[in-house]
Amino acid sequence: MAMAALRREGRRIAAPLLSPHPINPLRSSLASSEEQAFSGVRFISTQIVRTRMKSVKNIQKITKAMKMVAASKLRAIQTRAENSRGLWQPFTALLGDMPSVDVKKNVIVTISSDKGLCGGINSTSVKISRALYKLNSGPEKECKYVILGEKAKAQLVRDSKKDIGLSITELQKNPLNYTQVAVIADDILKNVEYDALRIVFNKFQSVVAFLPTTSTVLSPEIVEREAEAGGSLGELDSYEIEGGETKSEVLQNLTEFQFSCVMFNAVLENACSEQGARMSAMDSSSRNAGDMLDRLTLTYNRTRQASITTELIEIISGASALTG
Amino acid sequence: MASSAAVPFWRSAGMTYITYSNLCANLVRQCLKEPYKTESLTREKVHFSASQWVDGKPEKPTTRSDSPE
Repeated sequence: MAMAALRREGRRIAAPLLSPHPINPLRSSLASSEEQAFSGVRFISTQIVRTRMKSVKNIQKITKAMKMVAASKLRAIQTRAENSRGLWQPFTALLGDMPSVDVKKNVIVTISSDKGLCGGINSTSVKISRALYKLNSGPEKECKYVILGEKAKAQLVRDSKKDIGLSITELQKNPLNYTQVAVIADDILKNVEYDALRIVFNKFQSVVAFLPTTSTVLSPEIVEREAEAGGSLGELDSYEIEGGETKSEVLQNLTEFQFSCVMFNAVLENACSEQGARMSAMDSSSRNAGDMLDRLTLTYNRTRQASITTELIEIISGASALTG
Repeated sequence: MASSAAVPFWRSAGMTYITYSNLCANLVRQCLKEPYKTESLTREKVHFSASQWVDGKPEKPTTRSDSPE
């Protein structure tokens, strides 16, 4: 009996050296079936738990760092996004925002991020774009996607790749600026035919709240048509036009400029939402990693304590058996 | 009138209003004095890659970039 206890003691020392399954190779050295039954219970591998704890700890470190990065990026971009709201507001006051307008050639501009790990903002904008597509497709109607960002492209390629007209990526290599967005807007205008451009993006409301939003930019012909039909655009005729330009020329310039301004705001708002979403996602994931670590530590300590207790009991009872 | 003659001029050159206004903005930026001039010119860097889609397949993306690779 004492020999058996000694042998077990030796095994306990040897066990951490053998990874990751220290139980199996030892099983052959065990003679009695009684001991075999115990071995599984007593020497549950603490090694595996320890490596798991280590990896969870590392993941937590990474997510915490990502959260910090997102928070600092968010602060930089938030003020710019809020300032850029002043760009589209006068246009909406003048030309109106009519999401319900019924036209032949629709172009849906879906704005998403290039990188993942930012919660559900990309799938939200894809979902809204699909809904808009369904609303605006029909006989004698055309509907195309223009995609900004890698993530929405990956999602839309699966079921509607026939309807993609243009995809643009690598937006955020440099900090976002108006010139860049204007060049992109120019590219879009030159490459697609449109009656209405519907821009889908996540509007930044707070660090945890993003509103999926659509802005509609109409082509000059449609603006004129709607203005003649009256409604919210009916007042457009009461404006006086200076200089030698005709009304259609002015309208064309206006809608082009409106599109680039709305795009600028949309891209900024979406980037801001992305950072906010990433921040909250990383926050919750580092919290989850912490919870997991707590549970693992508890299991680890309990197992260790249990194996020490059993060994002590065995040694003491063996010693008392010898003396008694 | 100069402005009325200018409109069809850049429009017929294939420019949109966006390109035209960007060109004008860039000219104004170049009129700034030195510390502000480089600052504003480095701020407005363009970098993106765009690809046209034909029949459900993306064509080779064209990268447009101001910064050297």
